[in-house]
Amino acid sequence: MEYAKPLPQVNADTRPFWQGCRQHLLKIQKCKNCGLLRCPPAFICPECLSSEVEWVAAKGKGRVYSFAVYHAAYQPGFQDELPYVVALVDLDEGARMITNIVGCDPGEVYCEMAVEIVWDDVNETFSIPKFRPLQK
Amino acid sequence: MLHAVGALESGACKYVLISYGHSARSGDSMLRMLSDMTGDEAIYGHFGAAGGYALAARRAMHEFNTGPDSWKHIAVGQRAWANLNPQAMMYDSRLTDEGYMTAKWLIEPFRLFDNCLISDGGRACIITSVERARDLKHPLVTIMGLGQHNPSGDLQKADYLAGPTGARIAGEAAFSMAGIARDDIDACQIYDCFTYTVEITLQDYGYFEPSGGKDWFMGGTIEPGGRMPVNTSGGLLSEAYHMGLTPLTEGVMQLMGRCGPRQLGPETNTKTPEIMLCSDNGGILQTHACYILRRI
Amino acid sequence: MNVKDKYAIVGVGYTPQGKLPERTTLSFHLEACANAIKDAGLSREDVDGLICYRHFPPSTGEQDVSPYLVAQHLGISPAYLFQDAN
Repeated sequence: MEYAKPLPQVNADTRPFWQGCRQHLLKIQKCKNCGLLRCPPAFICPECLSSEVEWVAAKGKGRVYSFAVYHAAYQPGFQDELPYVVALVDLDEGARMITNIVGCDPGEVYCEMAVEIVWDDVNETFSIPKFRPLQK
Repeated sequence: MLHAVGALESGACKYVLISYGHSARSGDSMLRMLSDMTGDEAIYGHFGAAGGYALAARRAMHEFNTGPDSWKHIAVGQRAWANLNPQAMMYDSRLTDEGYMTAKWLIEPFRLFDNCLISDGGRACIITSVERARDLKHPLVTIMGLGQHNPSGDLQKADYLAGPTGARIAGEAAFSMAGIARDDIDACQIYDCFTYTVEITLQDYGYFEPSGGKDWFMGGTIEPGGRMPVNTSGGLLSEAYHMGLTPLTEGVMQLMGRCGPRQLGPETNTKTPEIMLCSDNGGILQTHACYILRRI
Repeated sequence: MNVKDKYAIVGVGYTPQGKLPERTTLSFHLEACANAIKDAGLSREDVDGLICYRHFPPSTGEQDVSPYLVAQHLGISPAYLFQDAN
């Protein structure tokens, strides 16, 4: 079945991130000059303006910084998933990323909840990083 | 506004016209803009301003005591003002605490009435020097102070979602220029894309401590007859959405005394206003402008 | 920059508002501008600065509204033109 939701729009800044995802690696940009982790990827570091960068793999564990529960589908592809959860997750390494919380009832999600990564292989090109409650 | 004042101050021109218009409700332009705002975040079903502000509001609920019990006072209070404003889209529509609380969720923690309206329409105003203004026909309403601050962070880096937002520094700058204190303000016109925006803005201006909003709003504080009227046209939530020009022009019209049944003063059992605080935001709390206006 | 009480707002322009499917974005700009000029008791020749506040992608079937276009339709040639971001 055709994937009905928006797909990543890959550009020069974000390509390494999505290539990593395809291998189930959560690759985050790290500034070679000051060490700041940045997400989403960008050409220069907002801390020191250096463009020297390396990509490091995050372990894929973190905590929910905030979340929103969608009761309406603003894009038709999400209609069947209502209600679904969009969240900002603070990775243990320090970066914050936008994602979905899956694998639990939306009513169970809370700020600072411990979560871990789960990969959604949506088609032959893309794997999308999502998070679920940390399994004991 | 800062651009207008900058242009006047530089001598580039004498009368600046600020214009806004948008077929936002009937056309597809708003949807296109909000989709653009979302970018790669759309992959996750994140959507536009409502999605971003919902994340901000949820974090605020975690960090300090706020939530629908605070926000209902804002939605209901502004609606009471709209019910006095025949131009307001919600003029004929009443809203009670129960009506607010039983409305459907859109992007939780926001229910229907936490969200601003989407309107077709336009709004404009003209700014000039006080000397030229003295020769014109309306009562003199000056810009007493202004300040702007733009944290500009991406959602994924933003640390200001639960405050302090740009309102803190912008507000301090505006109060400092005006040379007045918070208690000198007679009423506020606060950019209110969502109920939470009103709370966090007033909190950052120092009207209450984090977690103090619920008590501050309780008892009709911002409503007709209240001690600090807020968004007296109904605002973006209940009058019409002309972005920052809804609050700004309402502040001007109130100070000029041209607001009919909703006029601050004896008509609405409130203080006749001399000094008015107005605000404007952009993005997801990424930009903020604060203006203090007064009637001379 | 301290501009305390140096500048004043001297006119406000309103338009019909709500759900008005027969109206374009440009038409709202122009009606609001014309009403603001009239409200201030000015003539259009007085207006020598124009700021279009916020910018949106045009709706299907409408043209993109720029400060140049608004100025052209108001019949003015301002010394200062500026387009705010959205």
